[in-house]
Amino acid sequence: MRILRELSRRKLRTSLTITGITIGIWALVVFSSLANQINGLVGMGSEYFADKIVVTDGMAFGSSPMRLDDVEIIAGLDGVGAVQPKVEIPWDPDPAIGFGAPDFLVGTIPGADAGFETFTLELATGRQLIAEDTGNVVVLGSTIARKYGVVAGGTVDIRGESFEVLGTLQPTLSSPDTNGFIPLSTAQALYLGDLPPLVAESLQADELANQIVVFPEVGADPTTVAAAIEAAVENSATMTGAEFSETVGATTVIFNAIIIGVAAISLIVGGLSVINTMAMSVAERTREIGIRRAIGGSRRRIVRELVAEAGVIGLLGGLIGLGLGAAVVVLVNEAGRSSGTVLFDLTAQTAAFAVGFSTILGMVAGIIPAWTAARLDPVSALRYE
Amino acid sequence: MNLIEATDLRKTYRLSRRTSIDALQGVDVSIAAGEMVAIMGPSGSGKSTLMHLLGLLHAPDTDDGPAPTLRIDGVDATTLSDGERTSIRARSMGFVFQSFNLVPTLTAEENVALAAEYAGTSGSAARVAARASLASVGLAERAGHRPMELSGGEQQRVAIARALVNDPKLILGDEPTGNLDSSRAAEVLGLLRRFNRERGQTVLIVTHDQEVGAACDRIIRMRDGRIIADERVPDVQFAA
Repeated sequence: MRILRELSRRKLRTSLTITGITIGIWALVVFSSLANQINGLVGMGSEYFADKIVVTDGMAFGSSPMRLDDVEIIAGLDGVGAVQPKVEIPWDPDPAIGFGAPDFLVGTIPGADAGFETFTLELATGRQLIAEDTGNVVVLGSTIARKYGVVAGGTVDIRGESFEVLGTLQPTLSSPDTNGFIPLSTAQALYLGDLPPLVAESLQADELANQIVVFPEVGADPTTVAAAIEAAVENSATMTGAEFSETVGATTVIFNAIIIGVAAISLIVGGLSVINTMAMSVAERTREIGIRRAIGGSRRRIVRELVAEAGVIGLLGGLIGLGLGAAVVVLVNEAGRSSGTVLFDLTAQTAAFAVGFSTILGMVAGIIPAWTAARLDPVSALRYE
Repeated sequence: MNLIEATDLRKTYRLSRRTSIDALQGVDVSIAAGEMVAIMGPSGSGKSTLMHLLGLLHAPDTDDGPAPTLRIDGVDATTLSDGERTSIRARSMGFVFQSFNLVPTLTAEENVALAAEYAGTSGSAARVAARASLASVGLAERAGHRPMELSGGEQQRVAIARALVNDPKLILGDEPTGNLDSSRAAEVLGLLRRFNRERGQTVLIVTHDQEVGAACDRIIRMRDGRIIADERVPDVQFAA
């Protein structure tokens, strides 16, 4: 194309300008992908917590034991649909420090949700836990299954004991991916072992829970039910879906704002670079612009031709920036996938937006230099040396 | 009706708040279709300015004197906007300059096609017209070359092809032979004469070369912004 030929007149200058845009778009792509992933996870989390109330010990979230007796108390309250006791403990009692969600063992009684749980876990292999399952059996989330390289029928080592893998799940991009689901009784026994001896002495495994998931009845207000629970059960703390969204929501707003701010700054710099380059290019081509005007090129045409050039600079910067950003996203995601750390989600919308935005940025940046060019008097422009 | 009818043409160029140049002091001129006219005079005589006005590159001054009239092919050109003047230039006029003024990044064919595009002809039709125009000046095989690969004479012939591609009514040359040696100059002059005789295109040449003047039908002489003589050339001298 003629425009490419024109741009290759000054290869170094054009390359540097394109690099400016590339850096801005690269930042936009990488950070937007990060935001996409976080927003996606938050969305899933919000979805998960939306219809339930999580009850834990009032003092220390989830780490102190509650009693199964509390389940009875809660079940008797107004507006409560189903009550599901859980024991959630770390997979590894001395977890190594890592990025991303640590693996957890989740002990439940399948079916205790009485159909209230709408967040479905799809199977990849094997079968789900059923209420009758006992002992050392486990259903693994997708990330753990991949980490240990097992499917249904295999075995996996948990805290020194061999567990039979009943099934593995499809990825959910949420916490179940890093959970191993075991029977409640098995989890209770392990939990008792984790507690400090002084506390454990006075307790029995089968009466323990460290989380009680409460499903409000259809039409009941979760906030009211949560308040009733806190009143009825000694030493309890509740968290509703609304509270979860609020807490997380505030953080993500700030996070997203930082991301957008960084990308915006990079792009302003890139845009200024295009303005500068186009202005220089126009100054060097004063005579040529005079020729075009003299032989009948209207001002509008001259502007269009120059804005198109600037747009191509933006487009090239956008494509390269997208390519490099995608490379980073893919490489980092692959590196982190086995440990469950998938940081980026590069969607088609983000990609299209990045390239479209850079092209338009280039065109807009080219308008003022183009307009200056078009306003030149053809005769004086022709005499310019 | 004459192709160009103009009266009371004036032009002052303002260089700064205090200095200005009175390039044209008041000129009346008529040019019939099909004439080949030379406009001659020393530098500062206003000959280039007259050509710029007749070529609609600038508009005549309307203040400081009687209202100017400028009719080109029957159209009143004194009140046209820049866009309208540009449009007429594109369709009805062809320019040939002393320093060729081809776009350096475009090939000969693309340079000529550019003029066609500006006149409203689209892509492939423009290129076809460009090739035909280049053929008529004998440069068909050089169509794919860029200006820096062409000699001065060839570049000027490309410029003529460009000036002719839209079959304009008026061809304006500003010292078209100024940068050429005598044989190339004769070649260029020959082309202009041929198109003038064969296609009836009106040709206006600003020059200070006597031989160029002698090759035209009519010489308008200027001095200090006015026409001081306007004579027919008795027997047109031209050695092919």
